[in-house]
Amino acid sequence: MKLITAIIKPFKLDDVKNALNTFGITGMTVSEAMGFGRTRGHTEVYRGAEYTVDLIPKIRLEVVVDSVDADRVIDVIVKAASTGSIGDGKVWSVPVDHVIRVRTGESGVDAI
Amino acid sequence: MGTRERRERSDNSDILLADLFRGALRHCAIPEEDISLSAVGGYGRGELSPGSDLDILFIHSGLSHDLLSGFIKAMLDPLWKEGRQIDYSIRTRKETRQVAIGDLKVALGLLDSRHVVGNALLHDGVYMDAMNNWRRNFEKYLTRVRDSIEERSRNFGELAFLLEPDLKESRGGLRDILMLRAIAASEYVPVALERIAEAEAFIWQVRDVLHTVTSRIRNQLLLTDQDAVAENMSFVDADALLLDISKAARAVDYTMQLTWHDIDVQQNRSWFRKPISQPVAKGLELFNGEIILSSGYNVSDDPGILFRMATIAAERGHRISMEALVHVSENSPEISTPWSTQSREDLVGFIGAGTIMVDVFESIDQENLISRWIPEWEHVRFLPQRNVLHHHTVDRHMLETASKAAALTRRVHRPDLLLIAALFHDLGKGFPDRDHSDYGAELIYPLALRMGFSKSDAETLALLIKYHLLLPTVATRRNIEDPSTIDYVVGCVQSAENLELLHALSISDGEATGRNAWTPWKAQLVQELVTRTLSAMQGIAPPGQPELTVAQLEKAATGVLSVDLNERDDSLEIEIIAPDSMGLLASISAVFTVMRLEVRSAKTTTVNGVAVTHWIVHFDINVPIPTVSSLRDSIERALEGTEDLQVRISERIRNYQKSSLRTGIRVAPPVVLAITQIVTDATIIEVRMHDQPGLLYTVASAMSEFGVDIKGAIVSTLGAEAFDTLYVTDKQGAPLSVERAEQLAADLQAILTPL
Repeated sequence: MKLITAIIKPFKLDDVKNALNTFGITGMTVSEAMGFGRTRGHTEVYRGAEYTVDLIPKIRLEVVVDSVDADRVIDVIVKAASTGSIGDGKVWSVPVDHVIRVRTGESGVDAI
Repeated sequence: MGTRERRERSDNSDILLADLFRGALRHCAIPEEDISLSAVGGYGRGELSPGSDLDILFIHSGLSHDLLSGFIKAMLDPLWKEGRQIDYSIRTRKETRQVAIGDLKVALGLLDSRHVVGNALLHDGVYMDAMNNWRRNFEKYLTRVRDSIEERSRNFGELAFLLEPDLKESRGGLRDILMLRAIAASEYVPVALERIAEAEAFIWQVRDVLHTVTSRIRNQLLLTDQDAVAENMSFVDADALLLDISKAARAVDYTMQLTWHDIDVQQNRSWFRKPISQPVAKGLELFNGEIILSSGYNVSDDPGILFRMATIAAERGHRISMEALVHVSENSPEISTPWSTQSREDLVGFIGAGTIMVDVFESIDQENLISRWIPEWEHVRFLPQRNVLHHHTVDRHMLETASKAAALTRRVHRPDLLLIAALFHDLGKGFPDRDHSDYGAELIYPLALRMGFSKSDAETLALLIKYHLLLPTVATRRNIEDPSTIDYVVGCVQSAENLELLHALSISDGEATGRNAWTPWKAQLVQELVTRTLSAMQGIAPPGQPELTVAQLEKAATGVLSVDLNERDDSLEIEIIAPDSMGLLASISAVFTVMRLEVRSAKTTTVNGVAVTHWIVHFDINVPIPTVSSLRDSIERALEGTEDLQVRISERIRNYQKSSLRTGIRVAPPVVLAITQIVTDATIIEVRMHDQPGLLYTVASAMSEFGVDIKGAIVSTLGAEAFDTLYVTDKQGAPLSVERAEQLAADLQAILTPL
């Protein structure tokens, strides 16, 4: 099993969710995240005062999948999250040892 | 399920305990006259909910430790084996008396103690001590009582407005009811227990049903259990149940507030000094910390009395006396349509008072007065909302939003529209077939016209309510880097003024909803969207200098001092035309301040070296209204410099600041902006701050000291907020340099910011 984590632009969440649903993935964890990559911070001018935006709001999306599906799921996310411009985000995966569904006690792929 | 069942449960426990008690006495060979068993707390009141602990007290005459240990074990073992929760204490009468003095919980529990079995005289002695102690030392317990109530309120919130309230611990819940009963038992002040009798029975019943349907001793009414409780109590649905809980809790909380007010009055009463009342506005006086109606004042031809009363109370941090509210409710006439300017301004000033407004609003609403003036309010009163983000009922959420908006009034050009939009932004909720934003916009438009707002202001309010979710929705769901997104927002909001208002409304709404609804993450996205949209729009143009009428031009052409004065309703319209000089505006406003005339609006401009000034001022009911000649004399003296007004003004401002500090009203700090991007023949300085006596004088004299001349001014007071636009030049009549203008703004801001 793999844990896939995606950092995407906030407005792309609906597209990514729909694409994953179409792929057959219905459960995921979504949280608000702040960060920067190559985009770094940028300077804004608001009411005459300059201020630096160090951290840019992003969405962090996490989903655990069967290892055999991992590459395709990553591909689905990347395609759905892409705008082609700077700051589109990143997707990565890491191996997962155990998954247990709390309600039923099922484990492994059955619990996904 | 109800009082009868709780009583039966309690009676059955009495029988069981009495049997065990007597059995244990026999087992340990203890004579019955040496010990007694009393029920305390809820059990003492004969109100035993399913699953509640049995709170009991053994009172003995001085038995040995070993004897008592054996007795307790023999008596309680069978109960422990059954898994019953027993909370017990063993004390002599003297020990009980000592513990009660230091421990509020024990002192309160003993007030409800009841003899169950054993030597009744032992119980009677303890009960008598407890009552005597409570009555005699009530003042000593007061701080602890108040702290415990406030701590609970902080930790558990308000029963009336939470969507998942704690029936026992939340403010307005069962614990508060017990506290009111305890205060009544002290006989320190009378407590209107009859006002809460129905509420008390109802909340107990809800808790019993909750315990039964969940089979747990939990007092928080979670969303997941609400349907089952509502069905068990034959409510149509959970919303109907929560509505009744809200009403009950509000009645309890209101009674609690009245009681504390009476306690405060009682504590501050001095046998040597009789309290005196102080007139504070037409028909209103401040007496013993409460706003009351002046003796004999006839409210039947004063539809503005309610909001005047509310504004005075909120701005000064006092409550309105219950008698005054009831009297107004029964005798004041319907408000005329459209409302008078004064009533509208009073409402805005009232909402703008910040968090303190919530309590005053609540007391007015208790007497059903809000719905009478604003019938649209009735539908959202106590209206629950099933939403994971919201914690409060719709009406309380809107009040919280308005109180958050009060802190943002400096960020907008029209604080009055922001406050009104905040107070009514969810008015369209609770109509299942309608989008609440669209319907809210439909409701606010006619309401705003009734309140006396202009058509264009009513349209702005409708736009704000229609789009109050626009910025957070677009910022989080659409690509804000895409120019078409920005075009869409520009098309919706139409102007930079509206965008500024909508931004402040979004922040207030988000902050009032809760931490999960307005995170720094969302705030930053919305800020980004606003910045991008603003840069795609034309900026906000300040108003041009006032135009003059032919009559004003003719008077100005004479070049001599002219003073006109007309009385209209509660205010005076004053026109003063005088040769312009450095410090003229400061001198006129100084005279007004000393004569206790409060500037509501002003338009001044200078033509050919003559200043034409037009004022609307409120007069203080405690001093005589000035005449044309008295006003003219005062202005002449001030202009000639023969009267030094400085000392009297400083004293007035100091008194005001002292009274603000005393009442603890917190207002947003002032904002002074130098508008240097727009090129005109004068530099524009904007001052936005909470209105206070002598404000214009302070601003104008600071400018004179800075060495600039005020060529024109537009002064407005929107509710309790002053918004002044000043057109200034240097001594040579040229606009200031950017650096000098910014320095002037910074200096002014420092002067106006309270120390």
